Amino acid sequence: MALTDRALPARRMFGAQTSVRRWRGIGPAPVGIAAALICTLPVLALIPMAFAGGGAHISHLLDTQLADYALNSAALVCIAIAGTWLLGVPTAWITTRYEFPGRRLFLIALPLPLAMPSYIAAYAWLSMTAAAGPVHDALGGFFPTVSGIAGAGFVFSICLYPYVFLLARQAFESHGVNSFEAARTLGASPMRAFWKISLPLARPSIMAGMALVVMETLADYGTVDFLGTPTFTVGILRAWISFGDPDAAARLALILLILTLIVFGGERVLRRGRSVSEIGGRSKPQRRVRLSARTALLAAICCAVPVLLGLAAPVAHLIMLALETQPVRSPLDALQGTMLVASLSALIAVTIGLGAAYAARTGGWFAQASVRAAHAGYAVPGAVAALGVIAMLAAVQSLFDGFSGWTAPLITGGGLAALLFAYQARFAAAAIGPCESALARITPTMDQAARSLGASRWSVIRRIHVPMAFSGIATAALLVFIEVMKELPATMILRPLDFETLAVSAHHYASDERLAQTALPSLMLVLLGLPVMMLVSWLVTRRQAESAS
Amino acid sequence: MAAARNIHKLYCKLFLLALFEPLTQQKENTMRLGILGLAIAVLGLSACNNTGTGDGSTSASGKDEMLVIFSSRHYDSDYALYDAFEKETGIDVRTIEADGDLLVERLKADGARSPADVIVTVDAGRLWRAEQEDLFAPLKSDTLTEQVPAAMRHPDGFWYGLATRARVLVYAKDRVKEGELAGYETLADPAFKGRVCARSSGNIYNISLLAALIDRWGSDKAQQWATGVANNFARDPLGGDTDQIKAVAAGECDVALVNHYYFARLMRDDKDKGVVKDLAVFWPNAGEGVHVNVSGAGVAKNAPNPELARRFIEFAMTEQPQRFFAELTNEYPAVSSITYDNAALKELGDFKADPISLSKLGENQAEAQQLFDRAGWR
Repeated sequence: MALTDRALPARRMFGAQTSVRRWRGIGPAPVGIAAALICTLPVLALIPMAFAGGGAHISHLLDTQLADYALNSAALVCIAIAGTWLLGVPTAWITTRYEFPGRRLFLIALPLPLAMPSYIAAYAWLSMTAAAGPVHDALGGFFPTVSGIAGAGFVFSICLYPYVFLLARQAFESHGVNSFEAARTLGASPMRAFWKISLPLARPSIMAGMALVVMETLADYGTVDFLGTPTFTVGILRAWISFGDPDAAARLALILLILTLIVFGGERVLRRGRSVSEIGGRSKPQRRVRLSARTALLAAICCAVPVLLGLAAPVAHLIMLALETQPVRSPLDALQGTMLVASLSALIAVTIGLGAAYAARTGGWFAQASVRAAHAGYAVPGAVAALGVIAMLAAVQSLFDGFSGWTAPLITGGGLAALLFAYQARFAAAAIGPCESALARITPTMDQAARSLGASRWSVIRRIHVPMAFSGIATAALLVFIEVMKELPATMILRPLDFETLAVSAHHYASDERLAQTALPSLMLVLLGLPVMMLVSWLVTRRQAESAS
Repeated sequence: MAAARNIHKLYCKLFLLALFEPLTQQKENTMRLGILGLAIAVLGLSACNNTGTGDGSTSASGKDEMLVIFSSRHYDSDYALYDAFEKETGIDVRTIEADGDLLVERLKADGARSPADVIVTVDAGRLWRAEQEDLFAPLKSDTLTEQVPAAMRHPDGFWYGLATRARVLVYAKDRVKEGELAGYETLADPAFKGRVCARSSGNIYNISLLAALIDRWGSDKAQQWATGVANNFARDPLGGDTDQIKAVAAGECDVALVNHYYFARLMRDDKDKGVVKDLAVFWPNAGEGVHVNVSGAGVAKNAPNPELARRFIEFAMTEQPQRFFAELTNEYPAVSSITYDNAALKELGDFKADPISLSKLGENQAEAQQLFDRAGWR
């Protein structure tokens, strides 16, 4: 193909253009639509449920607690946005822009709190800061007990800021310093150059991270229930568990989903026309500014605080607990189960995410809309999403029955299939976001240049997109791996017989209020996440070195 | 089975390789390795499918007998019970453990094809819901009828109680005199304003208690009680039962509403003994008595092996498994003639259990949550 390309450049160019026109909206669109289907089918399965039940419980909730639930959710989202921004963006900027002792260590350490499930962090922090806890005793009650809205907001901030950090750092690194230095040359102060140039350039990435933070905060049940902050999701789960009315739960979940989509739709509309992309091909590699001893100390403290709060303190507490306890069951089977589902899901999700991101990039409005819809699954509370998957599989099963008399039980007989499907429904969006922002780095002019030089569609993907977007794609795989590793309700209910994951074992002990027994599986979760995180940090730095040479 | 597990292990390694290998290679190879990884993933999926259905077919041949238990319990006593049953009978026990309501949904979705033989769940309200969803098959067994008291089993044999837990008051001996405590009513007594701790109202233990109180007192008085307790809270509901006990120990509140076995567990733990040394349990024996809740097991409606299920439930009522419940999880065995070795339970003493029909707990469940919501008990 390369030969003919070169032999007939003009013809090829012409042909390429017509094919772009002809394939517009069709080419990768089916992938986008497939991704959207996987992510939305379980949600769609909730719709008939939502219309099935009566409204008695909903009107009861409206009369009593619903306003309270909604207010709590809104307040929690605001705290989480502010908290993750404060912990994530400055640290990303400091580690990208400045050189100070320990910088490389922080690069590895800062993303690590992501491996800590927020409900585990909540157990650990409450037991540390409650009366008679080690932090409470050490500081003489100065540190407030982590509870209520402020406590839950704190836990979400320290557990979820790595989303913002990772994506912001990736953006800061890849945009280089050209524009920043140009602004500095023109007399802008470093602060002004940061606010006016670097931050807007990184904005799509930061927003992608924020979107994940908001959706996880809204969908969380374990943390808020434990810390005594009943949110909308608590209301949803109570409609199901206490009122025995899964239909009401489905309806409330859909309301939450629609509200979330409106918020994100609004954000996209506001952002439209304000997107910034850096023109001018290859950017110069980062030249980090060396800090004086005093500012270096300040920078190190800045970077140490999130790691201390999100990882070091709770892990130290868990280690103390684990050392004092004899494990009841070996966690090795659970470790194996976690590795199996998490790595498989990461592979599948990256494929879906890339396909969907391409569809959104090159496809028509329909493909783009489908990809937006794919994000829906992420904003539904995990237990309700699992309910949707069950409802959907039951419907598919009855369809099969009608056709072929095939009688294998779909959920149980399908081994891991039902579970893997549920993970994709829920987490493919976590891959689409980073994949999209990775591809956003590649300006349309690059595509056009490559195509006009006679490169085929595939070779544009292979020789330009993949190398340029690689660190973003790796980040996407990492995020899905970590998410699946921590996922609870769907794993619990859709897993095959005798199949255990670390999150499930940790939850079993935690729900039985045995924090000490929870410590070991929780620690193993964190330890499993550690090398994955380090690999990605290393990858990002290596790419930087490569483009420098 | 062992072979299937080995295959799983092998695939686990392959998947990890497939995930990490592309990341470490030169970028030219990335696409190719990515495709290879996908191919392996697809193969792995089909292999998992095979092991899934394969298990089913071997058990159908009857050679390798297998009992499938869907349980919302996940305690050491249960694992000991499964092991003991496997050892006694040679039957392979397979389990899925999940929270009760998720379990019900999966059983409903699997319908006639459900692999479940036995359903075990923690709360009478949940047993009632599973019964409403028509998930149990009636089990008639003279041994069981004889061993399990009538109050602790379903009249039609849909389920049989395994063990019970009691909802009690825990108080600080230096700040509360036993004479001040009368029963659950005390928690709503204005004299205890700012002195009461309890967990959130969405918790099934609280819901079942209020469901029982609705039956005992009627809705109006139950509503007054819930509102009174909510007004007496020393702090917003937070954490689990153990956290309430610790809050009393730390002086945040004077009396807490908890399940007895959390207290017994702290008593038996060398490290946590100190927490409970100045605390005591008060049994609300007055009137109808102490609210107890039951864990129960029943035969699944579409059980592939109902006979094995019956054997399992009968086995669970024999001496050794019943002792597991008392000795490993500090619950009260359903079979009252069993003697067990648990000093903490002995120390807590005897109590009078509320003889309420357990299905009432299920029937009143939704109303209980409504009363809590109106009372502002978060």
